[in-house]
Amino acid sequence: MVIDIRGSRRRLFLTVLMVFALVGVFAVRLFDFQVVRAAELSAQSTERRTVPVTTYGVRGSIVDADGEVLADSVERFDITASPKNAKLDYTWMTRDDERVKVPTTEAIQAIADLTGADPNTLYTTLAANPESDFAYLKKEVTLEVFRQVKALEIPWVYSELHPARTYPSGAIAGNLVGFIGTEGPQAGTELDRDSCLAATNGTSTYEQSADGVRLPGSTVVETEAKDGGTIHLTIDADLQWYAQQVLAQQGTALGADSGTAMIVDVKTGRIMAAADWPSVDPNDPTGVDMGATGARVFSIPFEPGSVMKVATFAALLNEGKISPATKLTVPGIYTEGLPAGSSIKDSWAHGTINYTATGVLVNSSNIGTAILSKKLSLEKRHAYLEAFGFGTETAVGFNGESPGSVLPVAQTDAITNLTQQFGQGMSATSAQVASLYQTIGNGGVRMPLTLVDGCEWPDGTWTQKPGTEGVRVVSESAADTTVQMMEMTAQEGLIKDIIKIPGYRVAAKTGTAEVAQNGKYGDDRIVSVAGLVPAGDPQYAIVVSFTKPDTMRTSAAAAPAFTAIMKQVIKTFRITPQTKGAPSIPTTW
Amino acid sequence: MSDGHYLRGNLALARPMRPTAPARPEAPAPRRHLEVAPTRAQKRARPRLAHALIMVSGIAVIFLIQLALSFVLADGAYQIAGMQSTQRDLLREEEALHEHLELLGSTQNLTANAEALGMVASGNPMFLNIETGGVSGSHSKPKSLPDNLIANSLLDGSTVIDPDALAAAQAAEQAAGDTGTTTMPGSTPTTPGLLPSPKTH
Repeated sequence: MVIDIRGSRRRLFLTVLMVFALVGVFAVRLFDFQVVRAAELSAQSTERRTVPVTTYGVRGSIVDADGEVLADSVERFDITASPKNAKLDYTWMTRDDERVKVPTTEAIQAIADLTGADPNTLYTTLAANPESDFAYLKKEVTLEVFRQVKALEIPWVYSELHPARTYPSGAIAGNLVGFIGTEGPQAGTELDRDSCLAATNGTSTYEQSADGVRLPGSTVVETEAKDGGTIHLTIDADLQWYAQQVLAQQGTALGADSGTAMIVDVKTGRIMAAADWPSVDPNDPTGVDMGATGARVFSIPFEPGSVMKVATFAALLNEGKISPATKLTVPGIYTEGLPAGSSIKDSWAHGTINYTATGVLVNSSNIGTAILSKKLSLEKRHAYLEAFGFGTETAVGFNGESPGSVLPVAQTDAITNLTQQFGQGMSATSAQVASLYQTIGNGGVRMPLTLVDGCEWPDGTWTQKPGTEGVRVVSESAADTTVQMMEMTAQEGLIKDIIKIPGYRVAAKTGTAEVAQNGKYGDDRIVSVAGLVPAGDPQYAIVVSFTKPDTMRTSAAAAPAFTAIMKQVIKTFRITPQTKGAPSIPTTW
Repeated sequence: MSDGHYLRGNLALARPMRPTAPARPEAPAPRRHLEVAPTRAQKRARPRLAHALIMVSGIAVIFLIQLALSFVLADGAYQIAGMQSTQRDLLREEEALHEHLELLGSTQNLTANAEALGMVASGNPMFLNIETGGVSGSHSKPKSLPDNLIANSLLDGSTVIDPDALAAAQAAEQAAGDTGTTTMPGSTPTTPGLLPSPKTH
């Protein structure tokens, strides 16, 4: 056998060459991986392993004085899909614990049945952009629905956490609580106190294995999620409900446009209820007119009418210009010092009457009030109105709150000079009127009106505590005397029979204000009753008003609602009966 | 095993010495001794092999331990992941139940249920003075509860108790109790003389 040495050498050479070439190729590739693209590839691999997650902070809740939850954060789930992975002809799903291959339309129907979505819309969503990897099927479903959808185990259906808001008490205090839209807080306390309630979302990452298991110890928190604080309102949700309920009943019966009711603790200025009718259900803000989405008690000023006389009398008493028994002669019409053609009249026609100052208040005589007002200069009376809080927003500072209006002294004409003393030619919100009665009931010290007790943070600390410093407006004796005159009004005035509560002494004043339209007073009225209970030692100030009632246009229209709310206040706060010591002041002479 | 190796090595080295063994019996020991002495390299080779074996087996053991550890760790990771997701699910469940409870506790729901059970609103405020036993305030006729007018779109009426169904369920329970279990003696709620309470209807 002859061995071809040259041939075998060549083969050897070629083999070695090939081996070297191969090694060379590998070396180049290795160099490329390990050096040239090392950083890029390493980043890519980390990205594949690393899962970024948003950790949600929980928005704080809004609770009433007893801790009853009015607004709460809840978890909802968005059902999403990957149209790219969904085949439009068939799909797999679990039905009755069995994996079955079904037409995709059947799977869509199953999702629609659970979520309440329209199956056609779902199909269109999937078919619209078949290359897309993401589409919303249904937003904000509850945990129960989410679990049922998950149990279908449709491979192209996913889900996302969606923090949401719920208002378990519905429209109770809806005017105060406000609501949240897709753009964030829209109204009320949700908006006003967002700095307390708002949570900050955090981010963290973890690494996962190929089968999606979170690798232990791989979680890196980049930013910590921060929960919001709890806002404690001063209101009593049950009392608020009752006030709203009464307003709704009476308002409907009267054919009124709207109604408000305020209950204020006179010693502290805390608002126990601030009711609006109609009022928004924050769960469904679109269910009412735009006008009803806020809190009219704070935002809509009106000419309050005769309930303002209490401020006038308290000022006159404080200045020593009158006593409850001051005698005056009240003519049937008053024109003194008024421009030609103008006059001040009472709500009923009468000749000359000999009233005491108390009689003027009891019978709500505009003429008598005008005569008495002249005992004090406009400047002083204006200063008193300002001191009582008119023309300035209350300490609540509610979103959209109105300061009402009191004309500056220089701009006050001869008519307004006197009419503003009985609540025409000036305007005030229900909150301001309640603040006036709080001041009178509290011995002349005006407390800052309070709606929020504070913000309680998750660590137990409190911020945003309200001011508790009162301001003396009139002397204690002037205030107490005013209460006595108001009690006479409750005993002998127009609505005495309606507001009588056996076993209790009540101080109250009615108001029937004409509503100005296009610069003229027309037939429309705002009727109101404001008062204090119990009259012997006032604890709560109550103001009820109805705007533009159709069936009855006197203050008697507001009296039943006032009485009902007052009874409820007595029951809620367990005010003990007291009948002794009721004043007796002559009203005529 | 290392003993076997050592023995085999000895025999291999002894083989060339055999022909000279019977020649002179006086001095066989020192010579043989010299001849069987391993070279320096051989001396070194023997422990090196043992070390290698120890090392190889050591590495194998380490690998085995590592594998076992990795098994345990992976198992733990799965366990942690599983428990974390269970915890999350339970928290969600708790929150959902809490949410439902808040809704059940809403004034609208309570009013609707009170009404369904035939409760009425009291009239004038009245108080019972425990010290004197006297009643203050004057009686007025209780009014039937007005329909709730304050909206709550979360309630759909499904949470209102049906008094008839409730009575039926109680009757059924009673019947089952009569035939099945006996009531405990002395546990009757009408034990006299313990707590005086006014009779109401």
